[in-house]
Amino acid sequence: PRGARLPLTPQSRGGGRVSRPPGVPRSLPRQEEAQAIDQELFTDYKFSVDQLMELAGLSCATAIAKAYPPSSFTTSQPTVLVVCGPGNNGGDGLVCARHLKMFGYEPTVYYPKRPNKPLFEGLTTQCQKMDIPFLSEFPAEAALIDELYGLVVDAIFGFSFKGAVREPFGSILSTLERITAPIASIDIPSGWDVEKGKADGLQPDMLISLTAPKKAAMHFTGRYHFLGGRFVPAALQEKYALNLPPYPETDCVLQLT
Amino acid sequence: CNVPFSRQAFPLPSLPRKQPTVLVVCGPAQNGAIGLVCARHLRIFDYEPTIFYPKRSPDPLYRDFTTQCEKMDIPFLSYLPTEVQLINDAYNAVVDAVLGAEAEAGEGREPCAAILATLKHVRIPIVSLDVPSGWDVEAGSSGGISPDVLVSLSAPKQCARCFLGRQHFVAGRFLPYDVQKKFELNPPDYPGTECVVALRAPR
Repeated sequence: PRGARLPLTPQSRGGGRVSRPPGVPRSLPRQEEAQAIDQELFTDYKFSVDQLMELAGLSCATAIAKAYPPSSFTTSQPTVLVVCGPGNNGGDGLVCARHLKMFGYEPTVYYPKRPNKPLFEGLTTQCQKMDIPFLSEFPAEAALIDELYGLVVDAIFGFSFKGAVREPFGSILSTLERITAPIASIDIPSGWDVEKGKADGLQPDMLISLTAPKKAAMHFTGRYHFLGGRFVPAALQEKYALNLPPYPETDCVLQLT
Repeated sequence: CNVPFSRQAFPLPSLPRKQPTVLVVCGPAQNGAIGLVCARHLRIFDYEPTIFYPKRSPDPLYRDFTTQCEKMDIPFLSYLPTEVQLINDAYNAVVDAVLGAEAEAGEGREPCAAILATLKHVRIPIVSLDVPSGWDVEAGSSGGISPDVLVSLSAPKQCARCFLGRQHFVAGRFLPYDVQKKFELNPPDYPGTECVVALRAPR
């Protein structure tokens, strides 16, 4: 059956576990492997999407708080624009926004395409009840974003993204490519090919890889790369040879660079 | 609701036993389910939890929590030794997730009563989730268990005033502001991105 494919290096041919210095993945999961890991978590381990999304979103907010503490903002308040896409990456963004609010930031959400599902409706309500504003339209100019926000969270597309970017996200990404404020991308810089990246696409300052860094992370050139989503059982890590470095103590994020 | 009290109350390097074993005793309702989630995170944090969960809830959510623990190779005891020395010798601490604030006197008599009778006599530290099991949620204990650490969920309950153990944590950072105001909870400031805060300095 299709599953983890061990690399054909001499050590692993015998089926033993490859021993490698921590922090040096043998290979970063490809899109289908990342999807397979997710499937196992839901089907075999019986995690709910809610559970993992909550932990993922919390990791993102925590990583942001470590790299961009409120005191570091040049805007008068620690304002953050969270741009949420139409799928799970957008859901991660909604959770992240809520935790950023708890951590003392002032997030604003732009969520143009909302799935008709209780999970996303619930997350939206939670944000609204915490007085997190939802913009009715996206700021038209990059300069306006730079003036209003000290940080932008890119929660548009994740590791399932394939094919062409549909509106309104094409225009949004074009605008984001022109801002000078730092961008923190959740899991995959939006618009990038999940394995090959996108040289002329978004260049975020921060990447928060969830579960494990994907192949696209090799093309990341920003300042901060964090790992989040500290919920992968040891057995799954071994099966997919993720070789993740250890998280510090009980932290839910690990700074990779 | 993740309960990462572990680093603060019982950091891994400080544990007396060679293996970082922890016994998590889970009751039949929500408090027990929280114990299951706690056990899973303890496993992720490299502790070695063992669960005792004699009366399993039929709630599908809680059954999934059980599956997650089983798939993470967390052992489930089939019975709790009545000989307390066995517990003292095998584990560094016990997490009491038996009964919470919703428990009424007389609810879940057995096996909870027997479990609590045993826990009363353990010599290793007990960490109680929300309410020390068996205590009256308002009046407190009358000869019940004496936990070392209390983790109040959302906000301390009335009976927390009777708590005499070493550390009292609140895990309530997820409460929206309007709920906090409505119930006049007046929570303390949480440091950094922590989701628990100690209410009293450790003795």
